Amino acid sequence: MRRALWLVTAFILSAGVARADAENPAAHGKSTYGLAGCGLGSMIFGDQKGAIQILAATTNATFGTQTFGISSGTSNCVEGSGPQGARNFIEGNREALAKDAARGSGETIATLSAIAGCKDAKAVGFALQKRFAQLFPGEKTPVEQVSQNVIKELRSDSSLACRKIG
Amino acid sequence: MRPARAALLALSLSTPGFALAGEGARPDPTYLPELLAAARNRSLSEDRSWLRLGHWRKRLFGGWESEADGPRLFLSPQGKRDPAAELEATLSGFFAAGDGAPLDRKLADPSLEHPQCRFPARFAWLAAALRIDLERLPPRSCPRFEAFWRRVSARSVTLVFSSYYLNNPASAFGHTFLRLGKEEMASSGERLDLIDQAVDFAAVTDTSNAILYAFEGLFGLFRGEFSARPYFYKVREYADYESRDLWEYELSLDQRQVAMLVGHLWELGQTWFDYYYVTENCSYHVLGALEAADSNLELLSHLGPATLPADSVKALFANPGLIRAVRFRASARTQLGARTAGLTRDDLDAVQRLAEGGDSAALGAMSTDERVRVIDAALDLVDVRHGRDIVTGANPAADVLRQRLLEKRSAIGVPSPPLIIPAPSAGGPERGHGSMRIGLGAMTSREEGAALLAEGRLALHDLADPPAGFSPRTQIEFFKLRLSVADRRRAVRLEEASLVEVTSLNPIERFERRISWKMRVGATRVVDGGCDGCVAGLLAVGGGPGLVSAGGAFSAALTADAELLAAPELRGLSGRGVRPGVGPGVLLRLLAGERAAVVGTGSWRWLPFASPRTSYEIGVEARVHVGAVSVAARWRKAPRAEDVGLVLLIYRG
Repeated sequence: MRRALWLVTAFILSAGVARADAENPAAHGKSTYGLAGCGLGSMIFGDQKGAIQILAATTNATFGTQTFGISSGTSNCVEGSGPQGARNFIEGNREALAKDAARGSGETIATLSAIAGCKDAKAVGFALQKRFAQLFPGEKTPVEQVSQNVIKELRSDSSLACRKIG
Repeated sequence: MRPARAALLALSLSTPGFALAGEGARPDPTYLPELLAAARNRSLSEDRSWLRLGHWRKRLFGGWESEADGPRLFLSPQGKRDPAAELEATLSGFFAAGDGAPLDRKLADPSLEHPQCRFPARFAWLAAALRIDLERLPPRSCPRFEAFWRRVSARSVTLVFSSYYLNNPASAFGHTFLRLGKEEMASSGERLDLIDQAVDFAAVTDTSNAILYAFEGLFGLFRGEFSARPYFYKVREYADYESRDLWEYELSLDQRQVAMLVGHLWELGQTWFDYYYVTENCSYHVLGALEAADSNLELLSHLGPATLPADSVKALFANPGLIRAVRFRASARTQLGARTAGLTRDDLDAVQRLAEGGDSAALGAMSTDERVRVIDAALDLVDVRHGRDIVTGANPAADVLRQRLLEKRSAIGVPSPPLIIPAPSAGGPERGHGSMRIGLGAMTSREEGAALLAEGRLALHDLADPPAGFSPRTQIEFFKLRLSVADRRRAVRLEEASLVEVTSLNPIERFERRISWKMRVGATRVVDGGCDGCVAGLLAVGGGPGLVSAGGAFSAALTADAELLAAPELRGLSGRGVRPGVGPGVLLRLLAGERAAVVGTGSWRWLPFASPRTSYEIGVEARVHVGAVSVAARWRKAPRAEDVGLVLLIYRG
């Protein structure tokens, strides 16, 4: 009986240790999202991977930071309008927006155009597509840089008339 | 925009807007006793709206207890168990001196805020129920709640069901959360749902140990909290990176009910509920919040003993007229399917080469439209395969590949036409059969003669159940039990029991070569010479190639299986009670629309150092579905069993 208890304890402990070992991306030099602003990496996936991530998905758990709490504290990442809203949207949708920009159309472009108050989403799609390589240089670039690029582009092209980020 | 509480109040009182009290306005202290007396006279604390606002439920042996476990939802120290005391403390609190916390001053503890600001929904409801004279109890301004109100700007409420991981049964039962809609439209008429706020209830975990995690979750040791974030985070997480289709059910709540919900969610934000995976989970408390916002709704009473997200969708449908619109948001994998649907074989070759880092010479010869279609499909394929690793930075090579494709695509300089994906014909979770199943029937076997059969299952779906509303590829069953009483024996006997049984059929397709697999933990009656009909604990796994035809009508899998049986009487490994076995397994299924299904299974086992040395089992089950019941006919053959049975299956809950 005692032996069984011991085994169970050892098993439980080892489950924790094995995970801790596997989940430290910094140890493998892979972490690129430590400073990811309101990007998906830090906001949704955090640094959780592997078995725990699957369990969390199965059971609908979050790894609690109070970033998105309702009445305790507010995060910048929830602001939806104005220049900060545009920035949050770009950072939270970085990969999806890059794909829509390359395609010159899509839901994230329509939404960004509305947040930024641009006259015509089609024209925004065309502009982002044309300057794609400069605006979205790949995941190695910090997400803040990407949002800055895009907002600058929308501001500088007066024909887009993006009046809410003026 | 009108300040939040003024709007909430105006809606509750059905009066046009009014100004909030200025800084100087003070409540009339003689008014409080009048209100307390009025509330007592009318037994307001027993009104179901009030009981719902505090989430009080009847206790087993009389009295009330709130499901909220954090202390902040109550102003009275007895509040958790005393709705009347809480109502009086609330009314008294509304008269308290002091200010609502100004936004620029960081309040160390939100509980120090004025009760009017902490409980806007209570205030609105009491103001209407007691016809409160707002000259004598002037509403205060509440900057923090105002900020939340503006951020949400809710005009509609939608319940979102995030599917079972259709091809990835890790998320067994799905998830539900709320979307508070701003109802903004693009100038071109598209809905701008991404900027809405999603509100969900989730467990906040504090351990990274997988076993502790499961334990704490089952026994309510985690706190569950409400949180609000932009909907796009949810879409990216579920639809893009977990490839789960989203079903959106817009509710026909009027503006007053929407406002009450926003006010009540604000109240709930201060507290927590112990989180139980099986019962008081995400779906349960989302329904509880909706019931508090509209006291006419009956939602929780439609739930069974376990709260499944799909059942919470059905609870909405059980309130006639509650659902105004149903929308479908396709997951990354569903989008890939739509993009490749019309492509030729050559195009598909090109898609595959591009997505695997090669260059396609064929691209040069294509028309612009065709090139757009091929590269767009290749991009979706890269995202289905590597999307999550790219976001988390785990796969730099995939990122380089994606970036090259994106640049190639942008260089074409032509916008892609919108991808329109209709909802799947199998329908949403509301069309699914009840998750609980009970069965009664009879069988006859060569060894035992005639016997009665009784069986039950807590959840959720097997491969022969009615397919509407479920993935045709996934079987997920929890807590299944099958008993028999034979005429000759006259004693109840366990035939099968499963704690969990999962089968995931994954077609080996051009773009996704994932194996089909199955897993079962439970107990079974041994039907070979290993023992004399003893019951053995069972752990079985298997995996191998599978195929699913386009419409799902025919599917098959060939698996390499391993199993472990254990029972004291078993002549297993060198005579001990443990018996490992390995061997091939086969599974075939035919679906005749939504009316009938036939499933055939077969397995052969090599049992090393055991007696006997081999075993096998083959079986066929045919089912015809009529409404909420199915009739099942079964045949099975094993070394020491051959039986046929007929069972009536009833789906509930």
